[in-house]
Amino acid sequence: MKIAAIAGSNANHSYNRMLLEFMAHHFKDQDQIDVIDIRQVPMFNESFKGDAPEVIKDIDQRIKAADAVIIASPEYNHSITSALKSVVEWLSYKVHPLTGKPVMTIGASTKDQGASRSQVQLRDILISPGINASVYQGDEFFMSNVTSLMDYDGHVTDEGTIHFLEKCMNGFRFYAKAIDQMNKEMNNK
Amino acid sequence: MMKILAFAGTNADFSYNRLLLRFMKKHFKQMADIEIYEVGKLPPFSVDTSLSEQTEVWKLKQKIKAADGLVFSTPEYDHGIPAVLKSAIEWMSYHTKVMDKKPAMIVGVAYGRQASARSQVQMRQILISPDCNTNLIPGNEVLIGNVRDTFAKDGRLVDQKAIDNLEECFEHFIEYIQIFQNVDKGELNMAVKQPTISDAYIQFPTGRLSLKEVQQIFSTIPFEVDLIDSTDHFAWYSDKPNREHVRNTASLGETVQECHPPMAVPAVMSIINSFREGKKDVVTRPLWMNGHRSLIQYYALRDINGHYLGTIEFTGSVEYILNLFENGAWDKDATTGASKKTNDSAEEPEEEMAVDASTGASESSDDSDASEDDTPLAADESGLDATTGASETGSVDAEDDTADASTGASENDD
Repeated sequence: MKIAAIAGSNANHSYNRMLLEFMAHHFKDQDQIDVIDIRQVPMFNESFKGDAPEVIKDIDQRIKAADAVIIASPEYNHSITSALKSVVEWLSYKVHPLTGKPVMTIGASTKDQGASRSQVQLRDILISPGINASVYQGDEFFMSNVTSLMDYDGHVTDEGTIHFLEKCMNGFRFYAKAIDQMNKEMNNK
Repeated sequence: MMKILAFAGTNADFSYNRLLLRFMKKHFKQMADIEIYEVGKLPPFSVDTSLSEQTEVWKLKQKIKAADGLVFSTPEYDHGIPAVLKSAIEWMSYHTKVMDKKPAMIVGVAYGRQASARSQVQMRQILISPDCNTNLIPGNEVLIGNVRDTFAKDGRLVDQKAIDNLEECFEHFIEYIQIFQNVDKGELNMAVKQPTISDAYIQFPTGRLSLKEVQQIFSTIPFEVDLIDSTDHFAWYSDKPNREHVRNTASLGETVQECHPPMAVPAVMSIINSFREGKKDVVTRPLWMNGHRSLIQYYALRDINGHYLGTIEFTGSVEYILNLFENGAWDKDATTGASKKTNDSAEEPEEEMAVDASTGASESSDDSDASEDDTPLAADESGLDATTGASETGSVDAEDDTADASTGASENDD
């Protein structure tokens, strides 16, 4: 499956980006995961003149080319990062690549709760009318205390975590196929 | 009057949320002084943003400290608050406690019937998260929908129900702030009543002072004094009227990094480090402040064994002294009178004039410093202090102009 994977942090050292890069490597036999770096995305502004900044057009194309999307989000102040929210706002303005797309949210955090609140919020944002993504509601992958489960170079070192991640990915692949079929049937009608 | 900082939670050129704040500023001008802040001025939040880009962030922190309460006006984008508003909150909660316990209120306008209900719920969650920890007023929701009917073309809120609700909520908010301020004052009064404080004396080797006398001496001498303690925290400032640097008790206990504009931090740290390492004892910066000639001198504070206790910033207008000099106060006739008052300086009658400020200053450090410590000062008497400073803490004085410019800018804002 072709998956566009958005790393929801603009920090140079980001466990969420590293988690996606780990997944791209770990699942390379089944999936082609394209990790999208959002560090160059400017702050969303609805007074922006023109279609969208080049970097957003690029992200738009890469999401459109994918069968499914994964978004990895840290948590700042009980909420997703402003950097990720800015990307989502751009993607619900002049271009709408997420409409109908199967999306799975995951998150890594250095703290106990594993970015759980920001994921609940992200799911709510992704089903808003301007985006209208098909959000995968199953397995919740919250990776808490990430520094004890991943080394500094981004290798997930905990077997249990890897197993659960594989289970989540299996569930998501089925879901993405089902949504794809549903979208096709709806388009035929 | 109550000072309220109101955040327009958008960077759009046109925004009903901005119009709402402008309406509030006018409508409530007898209850509160509302300053509208544009979050679009800040850089996008990133932990990797360089210090030089953070001047605006620092300015906002100062504004928040000075405010009695915060109002957030939020539109709704995709069921959530706009990224640009979230970014501002991330700045105000990253390595800072500036919003801690600050009374806060949320208002919002949206085109549709649901107003900005969802983004306000999200905003509430964000504002009570541990790193923000605002004192958010419960209830009192200001949800204004259907903007085309509620606002007139000139930006006035015209819907009477909406105005009534806004008035009720904002009045509650002002009362809410007052209640918490009175609670704090009550606690402060308790502390003052403790008998040990008013009765205490400090026994110096050279005499005895009551705490009240100590306080009043610092308030009376024509120079203001600030202390950064040995752990680089802003520990104390003298309560002098009409200070050159206006300080706020909310800044006490902050680190050097927090209480200076980001651009000034490297220069300040290099001074402090040169003191800590024993490389220097004094740095002098003559400059224009608030329209007059002033002198800032940083002194290393040391115990009698020379261990570093902190850094004193000694600041004052030297206009009065310079005027005395320019009007010939030290010319032949006047000297007798002058030298009677300042016996110490009479020993060096030839060189007194330009040096007076620094000599005066060095006298104050005589008590704590060993006698040798004075020599660097005495050696570069005739205004050479500045250049000496330049050679040793190169970056500080070399960039004096720029440093001053940025410091000056933020001082004016205060």
